[in-house]
Amino acid sequence: MNKVFKLTTIMALSILLFNSCGTDDIEPTLAQDKPVEGSITSVGNLFSILKGAHSQLTSGGYYGQAMIITNEVRSDNCFSNGYSGRYSTQAEYAYNENTGYIWDNAYQVIANANIIINQPLDGLSGDLDHGEHIQGQALGLRALGHFDLLRSFGQQHTTGGNLGVPIITEFKDESNLFPARNTVDEVKAAIYADLEAAYSMMDTSYDSKLYFSKYAAKALESRVAIYFGDWIRARDAAKEVIDSNIYTIASAGSFVSNWTIDQAPNSIFELENSASDNAGIGGLAYIYRWPTFPATGYGDVQVVDDVYAFFEAGDVRRDILGYQLEATGATPSLRNMGKYPDTVTYTDNIPLIRIEEVVLNYAEALFEINNADPEALTQLNSITSNRGATPHVSVTKQIILDERRKELMFEGFRFDDLVRTGQSIDVLGSNQNLIQTLTYPNNLFAYPVPKAEIDANSNMVQNTGY
Amino acid sequence: MKTKFSGILTLLLAFVVQLTFAQGKTISGTVSDQSGMPLPGVNIIVKNTTNGTQTDFDGNYSITANVGDILVFSYVGLKTLERTVGTSNTINVTMEEDASVLEEVVVVGYSTFRKSEVTGSTVKLGSEKLTDVVVAPSVDQALQGKVAGLTVSSNSGTPGSTSQIRIRGISSITAGNEPLYVIDGVPMSNGNINTSGATSFFSNLAAFDSNNIESITVLKDASATAQYGARGSNGVILITTKSGKQGKTKFTFSSSYGVQNDAVDGPEPLTAAHRLELASEAYFNDGFFATKADAEAYLLGTSTYSSWDAAGRPEGNWKEVIKNKDAVVENYSLSASGGNENSSFYTQLGYTSQEGTVIGSSFERINGAINFSTNLTDNLKLTSNNQAAYTYQDAFLERSAYFEGARSAPFFLSPLYQPYNDDGTFNEFGGSLPNPLYITKYNINDNRLARIVSDSQLSWDLGNGLSLSSKFNVNYQVYNSRSYSNRNYGYGAATSGDAGQYTRNTVDYTFQNQLNYSFDLGENHSFDAMLLQEYSSNRRYFLGAYGENFADDGLFNLDSTGNPISINSNYTDFYLGAYLGTLHYSGFDGKYVLDLSYRYEGNSRFHPDERWGSFWSVGGAWNLHKENFISDVNWINNLKFRASYGVTGNANIGLNQYQSLFSYGVDYNGQGAQVVNTFGNNKLTWEKSNTLDLGIDFGLLDGSISGSVSYFNRKSSDLLLNVPLSLTTGFSSQVQNIGELTNKGFEVELNVDVVRSENFNLSIGGNIGTVDNEVTKLPLDPNGIERTITTTITRIETGHSVRAWYMPTWAGVNPTTGLEEYYINGVDGATTTDFNQAEAAWQGDNAVPTLTAGLNLHVDYKGFYLDANGYYAGGHKIYEGWHRYTNQTNAYPIFAFQGLQSLLDRWQQPGDIARNGKFTSAFTPWQRHSKYLYDGEFMRLRSLTIGYDFKDKLESIGLTNAQVYLRGNNLLTWVKDDNLKYDPEVDLGGQTGLETPPIKSISFGLTLNF
Repeated sequence: MNKVFKLTTIMALSILLFNSCGTDDIEPTLAQDKPVEGSITSVGNLFSILKGAHSQLTSGGYYGQAMIITNEVRSDNCFSNGYSGRYSTQAEYAYNENTGYIWDNAYQVIANANIIINQPLDGLSGDLDHGEHIQGQALGLRALGHFDLLRSFGQQHTTGGNLGVPIITEFKDESNLFPARNTVDEVKAAIYADLEAAYSMMDTSYDSKLYFSKYAAKALESRVAIYFGDWIRARDAAKEVIDSNIYTIASAGSFVSNWTIDQAPNSIFELENSASDNAGIGGLAYIYRWPTFPATGYGDVQVVDDVYAFFEAGDVRRDILGYQLEATGATPSLRNMGKYPDTVTYTDNIPLIRIEEVVLNYAEALFEINNADPEALTQLNSITSNRGATPHVSVTKQIILDERRKELMFEGFRFDDLVRTGQSIDVLGSNQNLIQTLTYPNNLFAYPVPKAEIDANSNMVQNTGY
Repeated sequence: MKTKFSGILTLLLAFVVQLTFAQGKTISGTVSDQSGMPLPGVNIIVKNTTNGTQTDFDGNYSITANVGDILVFSYVGLKTLERTVGTSNTINVTMEEDASVLEEVVVVGYSTFRKSEVTGSTVKLGSEKLTDVVVAPSVDQALQGKVAGLTVSSNSGTPGSTSQIRIRGISSITAGNEPLYVIDGVPMSNGNINTSGATSFFSNLAAFDSNNIESITVLKDASATAQYGARGSNGVILITTKSGKQGKTKFTFSSSYGVQNDAVDGPEPLTAAHRLELASEAYFNDGFFATKADAEAYLLGTSTYSSWDAAGRPEGNWKEVIKNKDAVVENYSLSASGGNENSSFYTQLGYTSQEGTVIGSSFERINGAINFSTNLTDNLKLTSNNQAAYTYQDAFLERSAYFEGARSAPFFLSPLYQPYNDDGTFNEFGGSLPNPLYITKYNINDNRLARIVSDSQLSWDLGNGLSLSSKFNVNYQVYNSRSYSNRNYGYGAATSGDAGQYTRNTVDYTFQNQLNYSFDLGENHSFDAMLLQEYSSNRRYFLGAYGENFADDGLFNLDSTGNPISINSNYTDFYLGAYLGTLHYSGFDGKYVLDLSYRYEGNSRFHPDERWGSFWSVGGAWNLHKENFISDVNWINNLKFRASYGVTGNANIGLNQYQSLFSYGVDYNGQGAQVVNTFGNNKLTWEKSNTLDLGIDFGLLDGSISGSVSYFNRKSSDLLLNVPLSLTTGFSSQVQNIGELTNKGFEVELNVDVVRSENFNLSIGGNIGTVDNEVTKLPLDPNGIERTITTTITRIETGHSVRAWYMPTWAGVNPTTGLEEYYINGVDGATTTDFNQAEAAWQGDNAVPTLTAGLNLHVDYKGFYLDANGYYAGGHKIYEGWHRYTNQTNAYPIFAFQGLQSLLDRWQQPGDIARNGKFTSAFTPWQRHSKYLYDGEFMRLRSLTIGYDFKDKLESIGLTNAQVYLRGNNLLTWVKDDNLKYDPEVDLGGQTGLETPPIKSISFGLTLNF
């Protein structure tokens, strides 16, 4: 009897205890994340991804710092003084395939853009017109990403031929996980196609300067076309932006102060930084200048001394410059004090496209198409007249490039302007000493493809010279 | 009167003696162990009779015997003694451990077996082996050098930091390699819990006081670890806490006090005078000045140099000022243990305080334990083990070259700057590195942890060999960290100060239900069967916030910040369910032993279809000494052959890796946003290891020589590997089950009692472990090319050890040009000065030692004793991190940051043979090559203790035992490679860093039993 009782108890307990855990009991909670498959059900979800992609543009490894700074320190505008060791490798053209650059950042933006672009709108809840606009914005960001990759890694200014970068148009495309490089021309064509589609899909009623917009697509198209010398395309695209009359050239009185406000009238597309969301000391303000006296922080990127004399007296653009002392008794160092000025809260937005660039693109395109076109001079002087500078009386390529340098200094254009016009570049060391002069074309004008890419993808070909 | 009385007494005695000769007499006495503790339950019989008795709880006995009879005293695990009954009525005996039999019990997985019946490779360390390292509050550090095949390397010398432990090498490339910790039978995660990746490592294992640990058993082979299924691949560390012993209550008080300094002084930084010399030389070399004198004159005209010159060229010695010399460590513990037939208890209170050897770092712990067990009825027993601790760590920025970190200063801060002003106040100079003295005093980085581990078990003995038990364990941790930057100086000044608070609550529950059945089939076959069900839920709740801008000094909390910047909270969880069955067979009194185990386990880290996995093991042992043909060989006391084979798993990867996921941790324009952040892989499942283990355990010459020899071969397959992806996917890697690697090696443990006597003992022991690690399979890309995983200094490729060093090979400095050269093909022949033209090549070895050894020596003479432990590691290489900034002849060491004196050995003019090339004022990029790769071989005197054991000499003042000792840890270090100036004990990444180096200490200790 006793034995039976015991056995029964054991059986009962065993069933109770040994039957209490199955697959469902070990299901994890997704508290912060959601699966990609199936979680996009509304236009609002697409907008959220679009914001995410914009946020990725603001990272210090991309437009938050590296994309802009690298193109300045490799030009005649700036050099790196090595104060914290930042950007001296780039300034001295001493990078190698381990240096790393925007390759990963740009493709991350493209990955998110592709999720938006390839999402069928049918069946989504919300304003489907807005959905189409968002898909246009994503196309614009994809074009921006591919263009940034192309101008950084493409072989167009080297001895390396016609290699561009892989064009990626689908997220997690199992058939294209090991892409080979497309040619420069193929990438360029893809950029143009994306920008044209972007323009046609967007609707200005949804536009904001804090997001990629309808005219940002045209403005970017003019930039790309200028870069490749597709003058007619550049002219037509720029003209559409100017004729939209949405954006106004900053006046002489507001040129400097516009850098301290958000969404200024001359801005077409800018990246938003707020007190709670910014690159902090890894951003632009902190690398261009010291935040305190005596000097602390980084402040590695210093302005080449002779830049000051490049501006005439009265040109408000010279007011962007200023001198900083490292310590009492030290030699003053010339600085960008006016663009991205906030070293305290780092809340300056980062303008990526503003109307003045488009006007200069337009002037250059007009000049290249017909060097006697008087409209080129008119457009050029629409800038100088708003800068307290002497109007030009004639136009040459050099005058246009000089005007671009003055207007767009410290904004990351100068390196591309030098290489696209086939100029030599002086390499400056940490003491502004001339290390060497790089003649055009030059393998150092393109970054090496990161080693991580080469190792992971045997279809990838490294740039010449690395 | 007195004489008369004596006479009567003598008469009486004679009568008594006569009487006992005829009828036998009563012999009584006390039986105690070597430490003087009374032994209850000792069997005493009169030889060749059935007349016997047992000692009571106080170790007392009495038995009737005749003069000339022989009393036999026996007790499991102790040497059997014989005493001839003489005229005395009292026979007190002291019983010693029996090294020849060593029938101690060993906890193996969820069961406990006699040591002779263990089929796997296990090493058990008693508490006395775990308390000889005072330099670390967590017990993991004490394992170094004591277990063959186990390496310990600490992440930092900052007190309260974590250690990395590897048992038999690296079993996985991407998934975790840390062994599983099992505390009182419950697996639980231990490791770094600091929410900041910048400040000191903070170990939750440091919340356990070694004083409460009865023993640690390290399980190395599959027969034991397969019982832990998916978490067993990397070996298992079983910690058993102390429990009460029956008998009257005994108290133990122990304390120690010591002082600590860095074990190795480390490299010498350049002086300010050196900087002037080298900077002038760099300018001259670069052609900026016609002579070095011109360059020097120019430099002395610049602001920093001119003020330094004007002040009389003082030297800012940052290396010295950031030291906390003779940092104090103290440790106190008071415990009580006792019990009666039905219940027993152990309780303890402990306090530890330890300063770091760097200013502004310290650790403190207060902890308590209460373990008790009681028989609720004749067959129902309740056991409850409870430990609670509060730990505090004053942390600092040390895990990279943080400009505000005190340990960055000697290597990055210019000695042209002075720590103090003339009036003794802190010098608030500018530059990218602020004065660390100021930062240390006014900024805050600290970590706090309250940890409670409560473990309760109800066991029901059903009779007939059947028992059922149910266990519930709570592991509850409340973690809090705080950061504060002052608003006046340093990186917080720009925002008028900033503060952060982060808290994480960890709640882990584990349930175990276990059914045991012991039965015999006939006389010679006994079986122990076990069925177990286990379920564990692990939840983490995080909340943190950060704000800026304080109105005044002396305010540290978020309430006082004017600008709240960020608020974060998140929740993560993971779950585990398992069923386990084991069968243990012992035949012919343990002559033949067979172990079988099977575990079916599910883990929430995998897709529902791939969630469950099967793990199993087979183990066998043959106790040869129990065979008749050996038992007659009297110099062999113990000889066991054992073998095991089994499959274990590893699931130690990040949570929720199997699905493509959007993360919502981004925002834009003040609005929530999302980005895809996990590439995902639906097919993810267990990584598996098949382990073969063969071994011989032996005890010879009455146990004076004992030891074991083992061979293991562990083949890991379906590796959970972060396979590199083309970055064009938007991702750098994807976790896949692909790849294979093997680890094999030999392990030898040997202990020799050279002299054994009552007053003098000398023993020497040691262990050696080798591990040969090789990657045997990696994924291929569509072109059939192996996808190696390569960093700037390491590569993972088949045919080589995991993360073997792989980088361009330095060819020396050209005596004519003064330029550093590299082999173009990476091996030999033609050289180049263009680093980008130099091919990377295998440099031999990786960062994990392939040969480790421990040596220990014990001597005692009367009460005096000496213990020494040494540790050796070799067959690995170490890379010098940060050399671009501190140890290269470019602009960083002499302009931007600070260099080491090894740079003085540099090329200056044609013909110079130098280790370093000529100085330049250019900022060269990272160029990592073999010049900075050093032989990692080293030896260290881990501990040296000299003490005196009072034994029972102090009974008159109520002490049953007392010990005093003087102990040194890490007193001596030998490093093979002269160029390796940093401490050779680096973490397993193999690169020297800026963390607090290992520590040497001298301490005085006292233990009292009463």
